[in-house]
Amino acid sequence: MTMVIPIGPQHPALKEPEYFRFEVKGEEIVDVDIYFGYAHRGIEETFARRNYKHNIYLSERICGICNICHSTCYSMAVERVAGIEPPERAKYVRSLILELERIHSHLLWLAVAAHQIGFDTLFMLAMRDREHVMDMREIISGGRVHSATNAIGGVRRDVTREQVPKLLENLDKVERSVNYYINLFQTDRTIRSRCEGVGVLTREDAIKLCAVGPVARASGVKTDIRVDDPYAAYPNLSFEVITETDGDVMAKGMVRLREMVESVKMVRQILKEMPNGPLRVPVDLKIPPNEAVQRVEAPRGELLYYIRSNGSEIPERVRVRTPTYASAPSLKPMFVGGTVAEIPIVLWSLDVCFACNDRVTLVDANTGKARVVTMEELRRWRS
Amino acid sequence: MNSQEVADLIKADADEIRIISERCLFASSDKKRFLNILRSLKSSGVTHISTITALDNGKSIELIYHFDCKPALLNLKIFLPMDDLKVPTITDLFPGAILYERDIMEMIGVVVEGHPDPRRLFLPEDWPQGKYPLRKQKEEKKA
Repeated sequence: MTMVIPIGPQHPALKEPEYFRFEVKGEEIVDVDIYFGYAHRGIEETFARRNYKHNIYLSERICGICNICHSTCYSMAVERVAGIEPPERAKYVRSLILELERIHSHLLWLAVAAHQIGFDTLFMLAMRDREHVMDMREIISGGRVHSATNAIGGVRRDVTREQVPKLLENLDKVERSVNYYINLFQTDRTIRSRCEGVGVLTREDAIKLCAVGPVARASGVKTDIRVDDPYAAYPNLSFEVITETDGDVMAKGMVRLREMVESVKMVRQILKEMPNGPLRVPVDLKIPPNEAVQRVEAPRGELLYYIRSNGSEIPERVRVRTPTYASAPSLKPMFVGGTVAEIPIVLWSLDVCFACNDRVTLVDANTGKARVVTMEELRRWRS
Repeated sequence: MNSQEVADLIKADADEIRIISERCLFASSDKKRFLNILRSLKSSGVTHISTITALDNGKSIELIYHFDCKPALLNLKIFLPMDDLKVPTITDLFPGAILYERDIMEMIGVVVEGHPDPRRLFLPEDWPQGKYPLRKQKEEKKA
C-alpha cells in the first residue's frame, strides 16, 4: 500500500513556493512529483515592457536573498549587449558585495538546516553571525538586503577608506564563527546522525540532471562559474573551488561552510587590492540590435541571463534561468529511497528556501481519510 | 573546449557561426540537423545544458539551446516557422533539459515531440488552452 503526502504550496519564507507530492510505502519514499509555478510572476515578459534602467531594480526583486547576483548578472549582460566595459574599481565593488552575499546566504542556509534537524541553538548562533554580514552590506551600500548598488556601466556607491577597519573587524568575527561551525559539523553527534548518508545525489545523477552550484560540487562535480567563465574581479582573485565526494546532506553542508572561508579570504583580498579609479562609465541606453549571454555563480549555483536588444530603450527579450530551477530535477533521486523524517532536511539541503513549510497532510490511499500534521510533528518523526 | 574548438566540431551541421569571445559563441542550425550537433557535443564530453530560451521574433519562433562546453558557452539557435512548431525532444541526449522543454511548450506553444512528461510547468491548471504568454500579442496591441 502506498500513501500520498502532499507538501506545500504555501511557505511564508519561500521565494518560490513549490508543491510536492510524496508517494510513500510505510516510511519509505517511493516517488515524488513536484509542481512549480505558485510564485510565477511573469517577470520575463515584464522585462520586455520596461527600460534598461528600470529593469535593474526588477531583476533585483526576483530573489530577496541573492538579489545582487541578479542585478550584477543583468547589468553585465546589458553591458555586453551595449559593448562597454565597466571600470576596474566597479568590478571589485561588485565582487565584494557578491561574496558578502554568498556568506550571508550560506549562513542563512546553516541556520535553517540546524532548525530543520531540531538544533535551534545553532539556528540562533548562525543568525547572530549573519547580522555581522548584513551590517557590512549596510556600511557599503546603505541597504541590508536590497543594496541597489549596480548600475549599467558600473556601480553607484564606493567603498571608502574609513569603512575598511569596521569591515575587517566584522570579517574576523565571521571567520572565527565559520571555523567553529566547520568543526561542529564534523564532530557533533546530532548533526552527523541526521546528515550523513541522507539525501544522496550521486556524481552520475548530478552530471546527468545538470545540477549546479554547491549541490553539484558536493557530489564531486567541479563546476564554478567564477573559474569556468570568470567575470567581475574574479580573474584576479585567488580561491579554491570546494568539492566533496559523498553527495549527502553532510557533503552539501560542508561545501557551503568551506566556501564561506574562501569568501572571507576573497573579501580581504578585494579590500587590500582594490584599484583606485572611476566607478562607472556613461552608457547610451538606446542599444542597437544585439544579443548576449551572461553567467554568474550565485550562492546556489549558475545563474544565466540572455538579453536581446532591438534598438530601443526597452529590451526585446530577457531570459532568466535561476539556479534552483536547474537543480530541481536532482531532488527526485535525493528523495527516493529515503524516509519521511528526512524530507525537511533533504529538501533544505538543496537550499530551495523551503524554510517555513507550515503543515503536511497525510492521505491514506485506501480509506481516503486525511490527517494534518504540523511541520513540528514531522521534524520529530522517527521511523 | 574553447569557442574555436566548438566551432570546428559543429561546422558541418551549423549554418552561421559567430564567435564572440574565447568563451562565448552563437551558432544557428535547423531542426533536422541540430540533433547531429547535439550528438557530436555529447560524444565530445559535453554534459551540461544551461537552459533553453524561446523567443518570438514576429516572423518565427527561435529556440536557443545554451550548452556549457567548459569553458565555452555555445548558444545554438534553431528557427521554427509559425505553421510548423514541432521540435524533437533532446531529453534522451541531455536528461537535464526535461523542465526547460516543459517550459517552452507552455510559454511559447512549441510542441516537443517525444517528451517523457509533457505536462504544464509554471502556468495554473485553469490557464486557457492555446494561449501562450511569451507570444507577441498582435490583437491586443491593435485594440
